[in-house]
Amino acid sequence: MRQAKYGIILYIFLMLPPVVTLFEFNMTIHMHMQMPLLAAAGMLMYPFLKQKFPGFFEKYNKNGIPGIILFLIVVSYWLLPRAMDEALTIPAVEIFKFISWPFLVGVPLRDSWSKFSVMGKNVVLGILSILFVLMAVIYIFSDSQLCNNYLIVEQITLGWAFGFIALALIIYIVQQFFIDHSEYEE
Amino acid sequence: MEAATLKESFIDKTKSKLGVSPEDSRLSLTYLSLAFIILFVGGFLGLVQGLNRAGLFELPPWFDYYQVLTSHGILLVLVFTTLFMTGYFYAGVSHVHGGLSPKVRKMGWTAFGLMVFGVIMTVATVVAGNASVMYTFYPPMQASPWFYVGLTIMVVGIWVAAAGIWTSAVQWKKENKGKHLPLFTYFGVGAYLLLFLGSLGVTAEMAMLIPWAFGWVETVNVMLSRTLFWAFGHTAVNVWYLVAVSAWYIAVPKFVGGKLFNDTLARVVVILSVVLNVPGGFHHQIIDPAITEGVKFMHVFMSLSIALPSLLTAFAMFAVFARAGKRKGAKGIFGFLKKLPWTDVRFLAPMIAMIAFIPGGAGGIAQTNNQLNQTVHNSLWVVGHFHLTVGVTVALTFFGITYWLLPYLTKRTLTPRLNKLGVIQTWIWTIGMLFMSGAMHWVGLLGSPRRTSFSTYGDNATALSWDPYLFLLAIGGTLLFIGVALMVYIAFHLMFKAPKGETEFPIAEREANDITTPRWTERWGLWIVVAFAVISMGYVIPVVEMIVNAPPGSPPFQPW
Repeated sequence: MRQAKYGIILYIFLMLPPVVTLFEFNMTIHMHMQMPLLAAAGMLMYPFLKQKFPGFFEKYNKNGIPGIILFLIVVSYWLLPRAMDEALTIPAVEIFKFISWPFLVGVPLRDSWSKFSVMGKNVVLGILSILFVLMAVIYIFSDSQLCNNYLIVEQITLGWAFGFIALALIIYIVQQFFIDHSEYEE
Repeated sequence: MEAATLKESFIDKTKSKLGVSPEDSRLSLTYLSLAFIILFVGGFLGLVQGLNRAGLFELPPWFDYYQVLTSHGILLVLVFTTLFMTGYFYAGVSHVHGGLSPKVRKMGWTAFGLMVFGVIMTVATVVAGNASVMYTFYPPMQASPWFYVGLTIMVVGIWVAAAGIWTSAVQWKKENKGKHLPLFTYFGVGAYLLLFLGSLGVTAEMAMLIPWAFGWVETVNVMLSRTLFWAFGHTAVNVWYLVAVSAWYIAVPKFVGGKLFNDTLARVVVILSVVLNVPGGFHHQIIDPAITEGVKFMHVFMSLSIALPSLLTAFAMFAVFARAGKRKGAKGIFGFLKKLPWTDVRFLAPMIAMIAFIPGGAGGIAQTNNQLNQTVHNSLWVVGHFHLTVGVTVALTFFGITYWLLPYLTKRTLTPRLNKLGVIQTWIWTIGMLFMSGAMHWVGLLGSPRRTSFSTYGDNATALSWDPYLFLLAIGGTLLFIGVALMVYIAFHLMFKAPKGETEFPIAEREANDITTPRWTERWGLWIVVAFAVISMGYVIPVVEMIVNAPPGSPPFQPW
């Protein structure tokens, strides 16, 4: 239950108005810090939810695939420049952001992750890295301003941030193919 | 056949008990000898610099204050530390692995050659008067291109040394399937990884500065190069600190009659140090322009997060002391303090180093804050701060290591007389630093600037009020040089004169009820990627801004 407490504390902290302002003043911090931290809050709350509703997760996410599809759909939605813009201008979308990231991204991700094999995890990471490379290309090379609320330089920055995260994911996937664990583990 | 196997296993056992093979010991001793020679030269430069700054000593025109300052900084902050670290880790890894492979040894020698070549090239440009740019070599001040080339060669030397430790770790894992890396090697792998990650920044900076210094490009992006420098500069300081921490966890418990507090905690400290450290470089740029306030504010958190592994270490070390004290019958909360071996220099030196890190770390946390930093940034306070952290916490731990590492390598012993001399050296060093660092902190608060030679600013009243403190600074510097001379004498005495005998390489045992170390601590692939991601996220916002909205750049300046 300690994890759930930390999750709720993090969730409330992220909702505090000055914290919201700070996390949304820059495009990269908005997308690469606030949103993942909201997901992390959800991941921390997951054990409590799993304990309260064991049947729900067993019934709707038996093999982890429905959960990860939900995760990918919601993440993909938030990758759209318009979604981020609307979160800043339409309160309902902002509320949806604060609900969707912990409960539709963080919780299903943690529930599904434990059910996947190494191959399954690599496939998910692979999909994410492809998606992030695509986002990097769009944000770095777009001539027009994609978000009304952010400057072009911030857009380019976000593109590079996507590029580096994609690179980190790719390095992680690739290194697994080059390291023969049987050489080091019994 | 059986006899041969028996003989081989006997040799192996002897090697692992007595430690080091002559070839491995020669390698480490070479590093350590040069480290102490450098300490002597760098310490001497520190003395003349302190005396000059107090207005007590006139430097010759052919070797002015800024040449002294640059050489002192490079030799002590960069070269002494790197050489000591490499000698120490190669010796320790050789001990815990039962010897280095010829390939690793060769890498050790190659790294040594590269480092020496690089240092000679760099320092030669400073002595020749072509590179008075201080050890931070901020552009638009421009040094001779060979200054930067020399530093780059040194960095390549560091990479080769790092590759040697990593190769040895991989070889050990292959020979000991399913086992955790020995904690000593774990620290070695982490420290070199951190140094490697940090050095990527300075390498990128060199790729900008070398063409600029050769005149192939006319201007340089000042802000970008400062940022890349601090990605390295800050990390390097934390690498030296991590080397010191390794001795605190592994060796110090042996001298207090204690055990390793918790193996997992020690490994978590290594992982956190590797993952969180590099973006901390920004707190050196808190008053730099061209970085928005929001980003600076974010980086305060990033910087403060580095305090976490330090606080874990502080907790672990005092737990070790308290437990050891209790075993010896200590009573009350602080009763253990009486049971500590204060007269054993192998304990005393690192203990004072740890105690110094309490004000040192607290000062660091204070400087991380924007407003407080604005008060002290360009003052002698900062110089006082890093003389406390690097000059006491790191240096005194390195000295503490010397008292057992050198006799272990030379198969000699630390005599009671040398131990006593060591205790005297430690106190001289501590008192000298109290004077010097204390005076620097205080006079910094009163406004005395750093990076400037002696001046009364036209007998301005404020500037004159600094004089008593600068005088204390000079007294401290003199005591410190006596400390340096004593230490160098002790080191070479331990190498060549101390009586023959066996000295143990102290590796603390685990507590009997220590929990099993989890598997995830061995997942270096994951930690490297996490560190890479954290560094990218830390740097992407300001660096893209600095490149996309770059000013025209600055032509070179050589004010000397």
